[in-house]
Amino acid sequence: MTFFLDSFNSALLLLWSLDKDLLVIVSLSLKVSFFSTLISGLAGVPLGLAISMNDFRGKRLVTTVLNTLLALPTVVIGLFVYSFISRRGLLGSMGLLYTPKAMIIGQVILILPIVITLTITALSRIDGRYRKTAMTLGANPFQTAFVIIREARFSILAAIIVAFGRVIAEVGISMMLGGNARGFTRTMTTAMALEFDKGEFTMSVALGIVLLLISFAVNIVLNYFQGKAGD
Amino acid sequence: MLYELTDIVRNYNGRNVLDLSLSLEKGRVTGLIGPNGSGKTTLLEILAFLGSPTSGGLFYKGSSVDFGKTDLIRLRRSAVLVQQKPILFTRSVFSNVEFPLKIRNVKKNEREKIVNQLLAIVGMERFISAAADKLSGGETQRVAIAQALACSPDVILMDEPTASVDVENRIIIERIIRDINRLRGISVIFTTHDMIQASRIADDIICLNEGKVTESVHENIFGGSIETDAEGVKFCVIQEDLKIPVKTVKSGQVRVFINPDALGIYKCHGDIKAGFSVRGRVIQLSDEKGSIRALVDIGVPLTIIVPFNAARDVLPGIGEDAWITFNPEKIDVL
Repeated sequence: MTFFLDSFNSALLLLWSLDKDLLVIVSLSLKVSFFSTLISGLAGVPLGLAISMNDFRGKRLVTTVLNTLLALPTVVIGLFVYSFISRRGLLGSMGLLYTPKAMIIGQVILILPIVITLTITALSRIDGRYRKTAMTLGANPFQTAFVIIREARFSILAAIIVAFGRVIAEVGISMMLGGNARGFTRTMTTAMALEFDKGEFTMSVALGIVLLLISFAVNIVLNYFQGKAGD
Repeated sequence: MLYELTDIVRNYNGRNVLDLSLSLEKGRVTGLIGPNGSGKTTLLEILAFLGSPTSGGLFYKGSSVDFGKTDLIRLRRSAVLVQQKPILFTRSVFSNVEFPLKIRNVKKNEREKIVNQLLAIVGMERFISAAADKLSGGETQRVAIAQALACSPDVILMDEPTASVDVENRIIIERIIRDINRLRGISVIFTTHDMIQASRIADDIICLNEGKVTESVHENIFGGSIETDAEGVKFCVIQEDLKIPVKTVKSGQVRVFINPDALGIYKCHGDIKAGFSVRGRVIQLSDEKGSIRALVDIGVPLTIIVPFNAARDVLPGIGEDAWITFNPEKIDVL
């Protein structure tokens, strides 16, 4: 117990002193997670809308595949993307391996099904009369889609926040595709794993505190939007 | 002619919910009356170009409408549907009425002017900044009408516009319907269950039943079973001690439609010259464009329409006994 409290006190001091290494790790984690969430949101919301609003052959199959992808382990995604971007892979010449871009690619694959599935769920709860109203008032398909997304905005935002929460805490993809290079691809979770291996608990605990605070903030925002969606 | 429908069929899961031919004139207020499931809403959605028929021809202002090829957005901008329970976007009342103008690229200052005018027409100007999703049913209906008017349509289709509103709002909405037709020349097609309301505000009334245009109004539709007496005369037994003569080859459980124009009503049994009669009591009398509509309790409420000039001689007063005669030829059995 004393050992844990000592580590905790040292971690608080590290946070208080705004340690440069710590800040670099936190900012990189936030940056990578932000861009992967942004890309997933920009792609996932329209895809969710398209799947939700259209009846097509194989729709149930698509939904089943998406639900299956929700349970995809990060190491499987890491392996899959690695096989494409490693030196011998199809996209090896692009030099993506062990870069933040590679991490973003992997994370997008991880959370895109989450965004799509939760968008479909959010839109399924939207009253069908909104669509009919927009159409009868003369809206074209894009204007109608905008109306529907706007009505589901809080639930869709909640979906994006859930996705962000998923990537900020993941370790497998960041480790396998980022390589945990100091100051370049080292994120909070990979740094924690490394420091733990080295027996340096102070940095691990400090990063753990930051991660928990971020999770806490994400949950507060999520709660707010879920409350709004339920109004 | 505004709409021309020829052999329009709408099929859901192997059942024809609509199967009719119809012409609707421009510049009129038309009431579509019929019971639940008679196809009123399906018909309105086809007329609003929101739903396509399974087969048949639809002509709008003389041009054929092909739901697969025609520019439906252009047509929808000319024929706007106000749904039975309209839903407003979760924005302010102003933004809701502004929406159709915005998507038509009307300039901002012009939009503000039009929205203010339209909200004044429906008596909702003091709610301009209110959250639209917090309004009552009647207020929502009125804002939805303003929203439809913002489209400057040629026709407004209203699905039971007063079904879920209080008396105060019902009177206001009926006044708005008359005003937008007479002052703005907009054709109005609305559905209702209320024959009295339809005859009060509609220029034309079309009765629908089971997806078809019928002559009978829905008020006199009863379920019953066919029985034949010793003399071979067929009756429909509506309930214990209440049977009416019918001409049919059907047997078992049926539905009968009794045309209110085809019933006889007498003060005394002795006035009846011949035929089968049932005794009842007058419970309501109302004026209806040259006729008197009488509601008579014969065990079930039965509507009878009597020409105004004959009413004085034959109609008993409210609460008085009445004798009703039936013409089996004018009773439809389904």
